[in-house]
Amino acid sequence: MDVFGINLRRTYLIARRDYLGYVKTWGFWISFFLPVVFAILGFFATTLDLNLQPTRYEAILDETGQHAVKMQAMAKKSSDEVNRAIVLKLGESVLSDSDTKALETVFDTEGIEGARNYIDNKIPGLGKRLKVPAETTRYITPPADTIEALQPYLRGEKMVEYQGEKVRLNGVLHIYGDVPLYVNYWSENFNNAPARTLASKYFSETATKAYLNSGGLTQAGLMAAKTGSVELSTLDPSKAQSDETDTQVVTQRDRAPYFVAIGLALVLWFTIFSGSYMLLTSMLEEKLNKLLEMMLASTRFAEIMCGKLVGVAILTVTAMLPYIILGVLSVLVVIKFGDPELGAGLQDAFNAKMLIFFFVFLILGYVFYGAFFIAMGAMANSMQDAQTLTTPIMLVLSACVLVVPLGLDSPDSPILVWASWFPLSAPFASIVRLPTDPPLWELVGSALSVLISSVIIVWVAGRLFRYGVLSGSGVKGIKVWFSRVILRRKV
Amino acid sequence: MSQSPLILDHVSKTFSGKMAVNDVSFTVNSGEIVGFLGPNGAGKTTTLRMALGLIKPDAGAVSLFGDTPGANAFGRIGFLPEERGLYKKQTARESIALMARLNGIKGKEAIRRADEMLDRYGLSDAKKKKNKDMSKGMAQKVQLLGAIVHDPEFYMLDEPFSGLDPVNQKILEDMVREIASRDRTIVFSTHVMEHAERLCDRIILMSGGKKVFDGTTQAALATAPRRLVVGSDDMEALLAVVTPMSEKLVKREDGTFSLIMKDQVKTQTVLEQLVQKQIGLTRYEPKAPTLHEAFVAMVGNDGLHSLPEDGAE
Repeated sequence: MDVFGINLRRTYLIARRDYLGYVKTWGFWISFFLPVVFAILGFFATTLDLNLQPTRYEAILDETGQHAVKMQAMAKKSSDEVNRAIVLKLGESVLSDSDTKALETVFDTEGIEGARNYIDNKIPGLGKRLKVPAETTRYITPPADTIEALQPYLRGEKMVEYQGEKVRLNGVLHIYGDVPLYVNYWSENFNNAPARTLASKYFSETATKAYLNSGGLTQAGLMAAKTGSVELSTLDPSKAQSDETDTQVVTQRDRAPYFVAIGLALVLWFTIFSGSYMLLTSMLEEKLNKLLEMMLASTRFAEIMCGKLVGVAILTVTAMLPYIILGVLSVLVVIKFGDPELGAGLQDAFNAKMLIFFFVFLILGYVFYGAFFIAMGAMANSMQDAQTLTTPIMLVLSACVLVVPLGLDSPDSPILVWASWFPLSAPFASIVRLPTDPPLWELVGSALSVLISSVIIVWVAGRLFRYGVLSGSGVKGIKVWFSRVILRRKV
Repeated sequence: MSQSPLILDHVSKTFSGKMAVNDVSFTVNSGEIVGFLGPNGAGKTTTLRMALGLIKPDAGAVSLFGDTPGANAFGRIGFLPEERGLYKKQTARESIALMARLNGIKGKEAIRRADEMLDRYGLSDAKKKKNKDMSKGMAQKVQLLGAIVHDPEFYMLDEPFSGLDPVNQKILEDMVREIASRDRTIVFSTHVMEHAERLCDRIILMSGGKKVFDGTTQAALATAPRRLVVGSDDMEALLAVVTPMSEKLVKREDGTFSLIMKDQVKTQTVLEQLVQKQIGLTRYEPKAPTLHEAFVAMVGNDGLHSLPEDGAE
């Protein structure tokens, strides 16, 4: 079947060859699965780190008798806060508001085990499966009264009895003196020093409190003065107004579309960049393989060029698939389990208009830049040639990404509006403008500017490609080529 | 099939001010094996590219299967370009099957034909071998099989013998004969005259972008000077007889003389005169003319500066 004189079967065969040429290599699959592996490792890394790390046994030898108990209480509170956050997050996700409130009370009074039982009562089995970070540091009573007597324990020559087990004493915090107060941390593994960190935090807070108290102030009062002095809100006048004053307050839901637009513009840029570069290398490989001339006895130039564009486009999508899947999963996780405001914002951001224009600009941008790179590849005779030829277009492509952050800082900037009409930057600029809801005619106009430019570029690239594959002019012949191929002068 | 699949009518092409092909006309008739001869830079490849429509002539017209070269000839042409190459990561089978498919052969039939070709031409072991792992000669054969796998009507082979060892050259010659026996039309370019002498019905000689000869191999050979090697114990008497009949006389290392006879003189006449004068001969050997000699005679040594001696690459 032919479309505009292009035979679809031959175009498909070229596309398939280009696609399989890359996909059937080990390198491709390694790079394909690498992000998935990294994502899985990254996801479990924190838990693995916390759970695989052996528990440290630390002691506080407090000769002053004033700090050890308070410090251990602070450590417990810190650990409880982490567990409390995990328990409440789970409660918010699976329980009603009133049950979550009750769960909070249970946790505060009965601790993590009480919370587990409460969740099990509501949803059988879930409480037992609730995992919290393992206790990484346990503070135990010092097995001796002097720091000298503790040395054999710290060196591992003697073990400590703890809940019927023989354990190694990993560190000792020795507090002594009056004014000045001395705090020494003893440990063979001095890089991992939880008691030292605890001491630093405890004495900093204690000193702050003492200083404030000496002036008749309290820490709570200071915090209240800092945060309660002014109510600072951001409001959006374009949001619907109602009797309730906070309906116009800007929330994460309002901000999400801007971040999504920037994310998609960067994905667009990366996809076009990597796809175009693959086209360049594929074209160069083709030219160096010297097979094109033989294929041209049975295939049109346009079919080979379209085949390459389609094949590498599908290849690029395949290569991006792990990122796309991870991205979609992340968004779904946030929508389902994350902050409700942010989830609603993400749902708003991924609307039909955004997705349609994203794919329109992805296709147009890819064809526009891809045709450029095919022509460059056809003109080059070596990778060095290709780099020389593509440097200017690479610089332009790099410059275009600079408009993307404007979408966050000043989405109504005239630079962004102009950039959305300039074919080289239009795909990226138009996407970041979308959350400001520009007129549809502007978006369609931007798309048309890229479309018209693409048609011209594809025509020029087609001619350069045709002459490039049959000659070996290289970089030096560009002027001659331009005169002969584009201006059709006899040189 | 058209009676004349290829017609070039006063075709010219200029590159960067240099006339690569200058007013060349010829017709290739159906079922012919045409040798397209000439030294490097004679314009053979440019002419073949114009014949296929890969480049357009600046002047003149090309007719391929009665039409302007292009899509109408797809699937009917088997073209082997001068530049050799294959996709390095493809296997031999995949390479040939791809070319078959591009020429209209569908799915499994393309694979079947690729396997059949590889088996027939002694490359069964290469079916699953990647092109990058093959020797240059094997890869060249695979590319040739890719060019002919769809059994086209018209074969255009640009320097097909180039780079092949003598054994593979012989295989390729047999392949050309086998193809010709099926009434296919073949045009191949070469700068090695022996192949043309052995295979061609007709020869077209190019030199400096111009066609300098177009005719049968016999007609080409007839233009070559006739050479005779003679030797005798009485060299003085021998020279007295042969010198008036010779265009040129060259003494050879073994003491015999190689002579190029004047146009009207026949070898039989030389022998009769030597017998009549009772000169005892130690050697009398008329030399069969070669195409190389014929072309030197036609264009001179300058025109064939890059053309190797017969048999040389």
